[in-house]
Amino acid sequence: MSYDIDELPESPSRPPLSERLKTPEGQRIVKVATVVSVLTVLLLIFCVWWPLISLPPTMSDTQAEVKSTLLIFSIASAPVMALVWGIAYYSLRHWNAGSGDTPPEDGPPIRDNNRLSLAWVVGSALLTAFLLVWGLAALTSTTTLPTDAKPLTINVIGQQWLWNFQYPEDGGITSNDLVLPKDRPVIFNVTSTDVIHSFWIPEMGIKIDANPRVTTTTLTTPDTLGVFNVRCAELCGLNHSYMETSGRVVAPTDFDQWVKDQGGSPGMLVPLDVNKIEPKE
Amino acid sequence: MSTAVAIHEEAHVPQPKQISKPGGLLRRTNFLTALISGVVTAAVFWFVTDKITSAVAGAGATNSMALPSGLNINITMMYIGWVIGFMAGIGAFAGPIRWFLGHDLTHADAEYMAGKDMGREKFWKFTTDHKVVGIQYLVVTLVLFGFGGLLAMLIRTELGATWTEVFNPNFYNSIIGTHGIVMIIAMIIVISGPIGNFIVPIMCGARDMAFPRLNALSIWLLIAAIPPLVSNLLMGGIRDGWTVYQPLADQAPIGMIGYQICIITFAFSTGIASVNLITTIVRMRAAGMTWSRTPILVYGILGSSIMGLVWFPMYQYSQILALSDRTLLTSFFVPSSGGSVWLYENLFWLLGHPEVYVIVIPATAGLLEYLPVFVRKPLFSYKLAVSGIFGVVGLSAVVWVHHMYMTGWAPQSNYPFMMSTEMISIPFSFLVLVILGTMWRGKPWKRLPMMAVYAVVWNKVIGGITGVYLSDTPVDQYMHGSMFVVAHFHYMLMGAGLFGAMGVISYFFPKMIGRYLDELWGSIGFWTAFAGFQITFMSMFVAGLQGMPRRVLQFDSLFNISNWISTIGAYIIGIGMLIFLYAIIDSWRNGIPAPDNPWGGKTLENFTSTPVPHENFPVLPVVTSGPYDFGTPDPYELADDAIMQKTEGAEKVSARS
Amino acid sequence: MKRALFAFLTVLIGIAVVAGTALFVAKNGAEPPTLTATAAGTSQTSNGEVKHATLELSVFPNASATQAGPNIPASTTTLVANSQQWPFYSPSTSIQLPANALVTVTIHQYDTGGQIYNNWFAKPAGTVGNTMTVDGKDVTSVAPSNVAHTFTIHQYPDSNQPYMYVSVPLPAQADNAANQANGYPTPIDVTFSFMTGAPGNYVWNCEFPCGNGYVEFGGPMSQRGFMSGTVTVA
Repeated sequence: MSYDIDELPESPSRPPLSERLKTPEGQRIVKVATVVSVLTVLLLIFCVWWPLISLPPTMSDTQAEVKSTLLIFSIASAPVMALVWGIAYYSLRHWNAGSGDTPPEDGPPIRDNNRLSLAWVVGSALLTAFLLVWGLAALTSTTTLPTDAKPLTINVIGQQWLWNFQYPEDGGITSNDLVLPKDRPVIFNVTSTDVIHSFWIPEMGIKIDANPRVTTTTLTTPDTLGVFNVRCAELCGLNHSYMETSGRVVAPTDFDQWVKDQGGSPGMLVPLDVNKIEPKE
Repeated sequence: MSTAVAIHEEAHVPQPKQISKPGGLLRRTNFLTALISGVVTAAVFWFVTDKITSAVAGAGATNSMALPSGLNINITMMYIGWVIGFMAGIGAFAGPIRWFLGHDLTHADAEYMAGKDMGREKFWKFTTDHKVVGIQYLVVTLVLFGFGGLLAMLIRTELGATWTEVFNPNFYNSIIGTHGIVMIIAMIIVISGPIGNFIVPIMCGARDMAFPRLNALSIWLLIAAIPPLVSNLLMGGIRDGWTVYQPLADQAPIGMIGYQICIITFAFSTGIASVNLITTIVRMRAAGMTWSRTPILVYGILGSSIMGLVWFPMYQYSQILALSDRTLLTSFFVPSSGGSVWLYENLFWLLGHPEVYVIVIPATAGLLEYLPVFVRKPLFSYKLAVSGIFGVVGLSAVVWVHHMYMTGWAPQSNYPFMMSTEMISIPFSFLVLVILGTMWRGKPWKRLPMMAVYAVVWNKVIGGITGVYLSDTPVDQYMHGSMFVVAHFHYMLMGAGLFGAMGVISYFFPKMIGRYLDELWGSIGFWTAFAGFQITFMSMFVAGLQGMPRRVLQFDSLFNISNWISTIGAYIIGIGMLIFLYAIIDSWRNGIPAPDNPWGGKTLENFTSTPVPHENFPVLPVVTSGPYDFGTPDPYELADDAIMQKTEGAEKVSARS
Repeated sequence: MKRALFAFLTVLIGIAVVAGTALFVAKNGAEPPTLTATAAGTSQTSNGEVKHATLELSVFPNASATQAGPNIPASTTTLVANSQQWPFYSPSTSIQLPANALVTVTIHQYDTGGQIYNNWFAKPAGTVGNTMTVDGKDVTSVAPSNVAHTFTIHQYPDSNQPYMYVSVPLPAQADNAANQANGYPTPIDVTFSFMTGAPGNYVWNCEFPCGNGYVEFGGPMSQRGFMSGTVTVA
């Protein structure tokens, strides 16, 4: 059975907090709390600053959502990291028994502390629940199509070791680089002619596997003009490293001009079924 | 078991007749005969298969190439011949065959097989003694880590040379897969093999494992499984990650068959070892060792064995189907003939994720096991530790789809699997509380095993927190398949798993080998590797956040700086690991002899002599109190006075180097 | 002190093993000797007068007595995998081109073919005027059912080097084309020109399924020196 020796006795004559903090036990708590607080501040700065300088420029609403989720998770986890590291550091620094040849004398036989365990379990469950709810909301918002604009559908075909893009709503033109109009939702229907690839635009925070014989879908709304990268994120053989292409987000009028230059016609529907591109038997 | 024999002396058990010298044919079998037999049988299988396939291919065919998959069939049969021949050559079938012929093994034969009164040659034979198997596992693990580490150095060399392709892309793709699977196999066995086989039966107070012959079978199956895997590099490589996703694996050359045969064989080995460990732990704990007095390491090994037993067949099955696609031209995973790539991914990750916990749980339990010894306090909240372990074991069954968030398999399933994945941080937080609670107010004895606990706490927090990022689907949409994932799982598998295993091995080293691990050089190696590890993988997190995909050999110059830093760090890890390896080899030969109780622990393995005698205990112990009764007046009381007397001398711990 | 020495020795042995393996592998994984485009004076283009270079390649359906296979080290891979039956580009797949120049490539095509997966690759793209000549005639596309191989230089976006994408389909020989004295039919000659930019590294490969294994992208398709290689613009 547990021996709650470490716990202070629960009685009406319990001294006030100011008195309890002056006891050796109280002093220890104050010191650990100081270490943990300092670490929390340092880690908060690090965990927020670090992703912000590393991530590529944000070019879509999806990536904005990804970025804010990342930062919220960083902020939520910094205190946890600080707590664990702070106590471990304090143990090493203040209760150090050296590295001699004989073991140190026995410590206090603390076997359990039900209140602490309960608080820990509830605390970690609440933190997890918060992150989960935040994540579920973010997942819903990144997978829902905005209703206020007509989406553009693009067929993405991955094959060893190239990407190409069909525009079935713009005269059925095909291109080996990806051109997108700004502020218009885009639906990508992704497939592969051979092995599994993964269609990844880091700047837009979207990724979906290109599987042979099936179509997968992802969507986003580009909201910044500029150049972005299209990468393959699933090992696909010899030239996997080189299965990259570039793309650009252009103003809607420039997009229409580009379609015409490619021999297409903006808004002309050509029934190009992405599933028609299939491995031969 | 010999424990019960004394009581039932009256009962007449018919004993088989001794027909030869003890051991019979087993006197002649060893590693060398196994190698010869394996190679010869492989050649015979190749020759016979070639004749049969040529005959099937019809008139005019000179060899099996006339069949569409003739070469694949030949190579497969050759590898199967190797495994069968190797196992026959080591003497694995001697027992069953003699039983079949009506000349079952006698007691003298069994004692010979257990390596009684045998010198060093017992380590090269089909020896059933769990202590010999434990040492064999330890050596195999070190060899695998050496090989995997060599491949890791090659990978980092390629990635550090950002301006050129050092290796052919085919070879690069092969070594990333081979590095992955070799390290995964090594990590799966690093605790459960050496510690699980050597220490756990002693810790339980048993004379051996429940099924000693199965124990020998598991290690030799593992040894038989490794050459096919390594040989893939000479046969065109596997050219795929360690996940060998179909259908890319179907395009790979014949080296892939080596991988598949290795996994199929290794899964048998793991299943057999798991059954053995579970039975030993459940049925053979000493009298008085109730479930609440069972050491936490035993729980960890139990949990990991359960996961291995339940989930490994999924992986094995996926490789059997893939091999069938390749040789028999079925189409389980071939999309152009109606197969499904998602089926493969599901089968693979059904093991693929629990396997992470198969690695991390024993390492964590090992740390929890010796932490009380080094802070001289009872384990904080034993109940929470046990529920943490089994919480992870339970939840491990329902999280595999988080590896498939971005496959498009079932987008709606991302919601429930995101929930189950994030929930797994709760049982892990129990284990963190147990570590912190045990540390609280204890005076840490700063020897290498204790310092490893601090190193693992550092790594595991980073690995755990980045794991929470990845469990979140929108963030994973950015991170999946990037270097961030690589850094994350190295923090878990290497940072928590391997550095934990280094601590656990340095703790049990005196008991297993009879000599202390050299503290100075062990620590230098450990901390050099630790420093290199932080440099390598912290910088790899940056590459991942910047958007670098994994498994590439050339990349945008944007990622150059982080890769240069990673490569320098990786070389530092290599140097540190080599120094640690030197410390192990040197201490094995010249280390300071260890007393019976090397660290002043209170678990049963400390109450028998060092080196551990043939059947572990002169008289089986009876347990009367818990394993972590530090700071309380009641020490362990053993039934037998002789053992008590022996342990008195062990209170003082001998000097370190 | 003795221990320090031995620890140092262990590290040295480890480094030697890694370095030895790396050197051995790098040597045995080597690709064919570099083929440099021949300088051919200057040429007038829409960008003004630029350097001009020419390159001549051949595509054979397999190696034979009259035509040796790719000039790559006889590694175990090629020995086991029966590579004598594989189609390959000759004389080399490692190509070096001058920077900021007009490059004219002539490919002699000896192989039969069939249906390509993605019709996009039945059209030349990235060449001057998006055209090519087949046996002297200007062509802007090839029937997707009659492609033997393609020569496709990859895009490799890197902030430090320009974007390059050139893809040319090679029409197939008829299945019953008569063989000449060397054992191959009369070649189909494909000629095309493209502009190179600043120096950079690229790869090229064939996009027609002409290998073995799943969707015929294994074997020669997945092995440098046969149906894929590197392009260095220097």
